[in-house]
Amino acid sequence: MKILSLAKKEAFDILNNRIYLLVVFVQIFIVLGAFGLAVVSSIATDPDLMDQFQVNSEFKVGLSDEFKNSSLTSYLKDENLNLIYFDSSQEAAAKVGSEIIAAVDLTTARENISVQIDTTSVFYPVVSQKINLALNNYNKAVKLQKSGLNETEIKKVENPIQISEVKVNENDKADVALDNPYFVEIMYGFIVPFILLLPFFLASNIVTDSIVGERERKTFEVLLMTPLTSFMVVLGKIIPILSFSLIQSVAWIILLNFLRVPIYNSLLLFILLFFIGLGFIGIGVILSMLVDSTKEANSAITLVLVFATFILFVPLFVTIPYLDVILNIIPTVLIVKIASSPYINPELLLEFIPTILLSLIIFSVAVKYFKHERTIRL
Amino acid sequence: MRFMVITKWEFKNTLSSKKFLTIFFLQVSVLILMIIFFNSFMGSIEPGKNVALTPSLSGFASMDVVDNENLFRGQLNPDILKIERLNYSTAFNRFNNNKSTGLLLVPSDAFEKIDRQETLNLTLLINYNDPKRSVIKSEVETTSQALSSIITNQWIKEISSENITQPSVEQKEQGEPLPLQIISKVMTAILLFLPLFLFGNMVIDSIVGEKERKTAEILVAMPISHTNIILGKSLAVILTIAVQVFLWMVILLGAGFDIRNAFLVYIVVILTSIPIIGITSIIAAYSKNYKEAGIGISFVYIGVVGYLVVPALAYLSGSVRAASISPMTLVMRLFSGESINTTELLIPIIIIVIVSLLSYIITIQLFKRDDVVFGPRPGIIHLIFEFTGIISLIRFLKGKFV
Repeated sequence: MKILSLAKKEAFDILNNRIYLLVVFVQIFIVLGAFGLAVVSSIATDPDLMDQFQVNSEFKVGLSDEFKNSSLTSYLKDENLNLIYFDSSQEAAAKVGSEIIAAVDLTTARENISVQIDTTSVFYPVVSQKINLALNNYNKAVKLQKSGLNETEIKKVENPIQISEVKVNENDKADVALDNPYFVEIMYGFIVPFILLLPFFLASNIVTDSIVGERERKTFEVLLMTPLTSFMVVLGKIIPILSFSLIQSVAWIILLNFLRVPIYNSLLLFILLFFIGLGFIGIGVILSMLVDSTKEANSAITLVLVFATFILFVPLFVTIPYLDVILNIIPTVLIVKIASSPYINPELLLEFIPTILLSLIIFSVAVKYFKHERTIRL
Repeated sequence: MRFMVITKWEFKNTLSSKKFLTIFFLQVSVLILMIIFFNSFMGSIEPGKNVALTPSLSGFASMDVVDNENLFRGQLNPDILKIERLNYSTAFNRFNNNKSTGLLLVPSDAFEKIDRQETLNLTLLINYNDPKRSVIKSEVETTSQALSSIITNQWIKEISSENITQPSVEQKEQGEPLPLQIISKVMTAILLFLPLFLFGNMVIDSIVGEKERKTAEILVAMPISHTNIILGKSLAVILTIAVQVFLWMVILLGAGFDIRNAFLVYIVVILTSIPIIGITSIIAAYSKNYKEAGIGISFVYIGVVGYLVVPALAYLSGSVRAASISPMTLVMRLFSGESINTTELLIPIIIIVIVSLLSYIITIQLFKRDDVVFGPRPGIIHLIFEFTGIISLIRFLKGKFV
């Protein structure tokens, strides 16, 4: 009950902190902004989606006037490229990077195709894919034309591999905002863990503010004199912060589901986030014991969070085969695996152990430091 | 020049603080970590391959392949797929028990079929309940297209008696790919500008600290003007930033970063720090305590970072003229060795001068006001109305008509 009284007081303090509430509110925009960015970048790199959204007027490809009615042009048109004709191929090539993204030229003997492309354009990946596809089809057609094969043979040779797709669980399919590989990879592989951990980055700030603030306001000694053990004081301080952070993470999970980014295994995620939060807040408590003022606490927590960001997010972008065992137990990697899979392998739960152990160690160290501080102060 | 006394005093205090030095060296270690990450990332990029800023999670999506002759399995991308080569019944059981998202069945006599010029019929089972289905489908399609092209060429060669030649394709790429530019140029620029945002706390401590420690009264009672106090304190922080940026540039150059026009780059970065410290000073002058100021600069810095980074990204993506407004664009162009005309050079410099003047004037005006420094503090809207003369206008109109 004593812990609850302290926790209630802390919760009241947090809820009365208008700046904290503002920061919570700002996170909604961060979530929506990150989602929007993922959608835009996915569309920008997917030729089919670009065609769907009819932005192909930007895919400007230059050709010489002499190829206006050539078969090459029709293959380029089939890919929905915006063909712009110039008096000569040289003129088209000169405009690459300014008026057009690429220029395609065919030698008069029709033996060589040259493509000049501006890789700095945002549409480079899509335009490059479309041109390659058009040229492959053109080349195949030329080859088949020269081979003297009959129509049936051509049909067979053109498509040597046929894939029959069997859609299992189609009626119960995951409703994803964009059924696109880049979107799925960037959303689950980076944005989801980033969004879910945002509240805990904020939590470590709040905990330092709460403890260092008590010291600055000279109320810390009064708190230490209450009939509460160090463990109870630390617990009373962190329960509301951890609860608010977890509530925020749950809210972002709901928001992501609403945005059609289904998040799976919410309960497991909640447990994992609980221990990650405990670790973050524990670090905040330890730092609060080491610094003398809010200013120092702010500097120290900023640095710690930079390190934490580094450790948590860099593994998502690097592949180091001989470090796979370590990378697999990084909490963000676990979040990716849990959040993106409707069914998970129970063995994955073993990979939770290092996170749980580390968090408990950090929390124990925090309580120990707090006891030490108490001994000094009282 | 009386502000130099304050500058000297603040600067000496900063450099003699052990905690500041610890943080200073921790920042350097963060920089070194970033350099290691940057270099390993750049080193992992294979020349001629497309660079994409996507997470590289090994085994992100799982797929089983029943492919006795190993036609497909070796071609699938192992970076993103966790591929298991299994027999039919094990693979089917795994798929049915939701242990894999996809199952690709390749005929057991695939090579014989290719030799007999028969179409290869593959079956791809995809669990649509899994959002990673598109990753599986895309990888299988890409591999299938590549293999199809090889098989088609082989068959045409076998069927046709003639030696068929097809047009050769030569692709010339101009410019550095956008993701690579973002990584190399923007990352370098961010590393150069990062110290500018690490010393906000120093400004806060220097101004808000005086209020919290109740030493502001003594300070304003000293025979030194409010202008000199603000300029002196700000200059001390700018000097600290100058030392930090110098050190970081030495480390970056030592780590092999290609920074051309290093001196000019250094000057522009330091010049940019002046308005940033000015804006931070406004927040510090208005804030009641560290907490308020800390949150305030977090929000304002988001805007400042946006102003610096967004035009720089716009510049990379399409040489937008408006991109010149950002000093980061200027720095990027300087260290890339691009030629810059006078207008492009003057635009960010003029913006720096205007914002600096405005921010320091506002800070000094705020610091001169007892109600802002000692309270009761007026609201922001009230102050804006006062600074823009709206309150005087209202009073004038009231006096005239009421």
